[in-house]
Amino acid sequence: MRFIFPTIAVFFLTPLAALAGGEAEAGLPLPAAPLWSGLPITNSMLMVWLAVGLITLFCRAATKQMALVPAGFQNFAEWVVESLYDFLSSILGSYMVKKTFWFFGSIFLFILVSNLLGLIPGVGTIGRYNEHGHIIGFLRGGNADLNMTLAMALIFAVMWFYWALTENGVKGFLAHIFAPKGDFHGLMLMFMVPIFLAVGVLEIISIAIRPVALTFRLFGNIYGGEQTMEKLMELVPKSLAFLPALPFYFMELLVGFVQALVFMLLTAVFLRLICEHAGDEHH
Amino acid sequence: MTSLLALVTESSQNPVAELCGKFGVNWPFFIASCLNFVLVIWVLKKYAFGPIQQMLEQRRERIAEGENKLKLIEKQLAESEQTTTAAIAKASDEAVRMINEAKLGAAAFSEQKAQEAIAQAQQILVKAEAAAKADRERLSVELKREFGRLVAATTAQATGKILTDDDQRRINETALAKVEA
Repeated sequence: MRFIFPTIAVFFLTPLAALAGGEAEAGLPLPAAPLWSGLPITNSMLMVWLAVGLITLFCRAATKQMALVPAGFQNFAEWVVESLYDFLSSILGSYMVKKTFWFFGSIFLFILVSNLLGLIPGVGTIGRYNEHGHIIGFLRGGNADLNMTLAMALIFAVMWFYWALTENGVKGFLAHIFAPKGDFHGLMLMFMVPIFLAVGVLEIISIAIRPVALTFRLFGNIYGGEQTMEKLMELVPKSLAFLPALPFYFMELLVGFVQALVFMLLTAVFLRLICEHAGDEHH
Repeated sequence: MTSLLALVTESSQNPVAELCGKFGVNWPFFIASCLNFVLVIWVLKKYAFGPIQQMLEQRRERIAEGENKLKLIEKQLAESEQTTTAAIAKASDEAVRMINEAKLGAAAFSEQKAQEAIAQAQQILVKAEAAAKADRERLSVELKREFGRLVAATTAQATGKILTDDDQRRINETALAKVEA
């Protein structure tokens, strides 16, 4: 019940804020802005490095002096890793999770940390003015850059193919996509083969669309959140700019977590679908 | 909103390139993002998931090992209790057997000593009887001799006659026959 109000508010206020802001160019620009000309370093990339640095520091602090009886950071890190591992194990199965946890765990933690860092006050609001008179922040949400979300989605797509082929073999992989599912014989089988071939083509289109969907879903949610808050801040005098955005910070905290979870869940489910029987012989 | 609509309706030779341009997707930024993501994965795998999973696995193994040891200890304890009970029962049986043997030995010894005592008593009795018999015979001989001497002396004084050896022997035999009768 407590999430209904912010959701409805976002639904109605976002177009209102967009209208108030006018052209999209006047708000948060779609592409991340390069910080120095000639170098492929954007404000989003800087945020990603901050996230990497923060994760590294946390990991070092948590694993520097590991003890059999955990305490402090180690305890928290173990709780996070073990919870994630158990959760992914329930989706992927104990065999596949052993092979792939490093990837899915990294995806979740990285997206979560990047999203939460993007909510720190000053991100997107401390920067320089561009030629349109709009502030280009020195920092911008790591996942508010399509390059980053595309990179993650495409790396997943490559890994998905690798795992699908190594677990099923080329023949198994193709059979998984095109072969009739079910126990068909004779005339029924001949009738089903063309149907499943057509289904296989659809499946290939679906597989091809997945990275695009993953890319734009994450980018859209994070960019949309930042854009919404920016537009809301423009609705009131600058001295009160924090006020309309304040409730949305709480929702963005939730969105940051949910989007990390959704990205990880979807990628894990996609892998599970293609490696459904992987590891059966190992049990 | 208008720019997105414009993007959709705008005719273009290469819509993908235009979309990429609109969203700022280009090779240098994309490759840099890929490297960043790979770096994140490497850092997490090396410094977080690796050591933590190793520690969790180590702990899991230690718990399993502890459980196994506990089961082994319980088994050994049960075996030890069984062995102790068996040993106590065996010792008890042995003790009973030894007590019985000691009782039997003591009874035999006691019987042997009693028999020895009886034998010794009998020997003492026989010796005493033999000694008594010898004393009686000796006393009898002495008595006879003294009685004969007294009878001979008395007869000689009474009769005033010197008795011969035959007289003395005949008087002695007659007197002794009367005394013994």
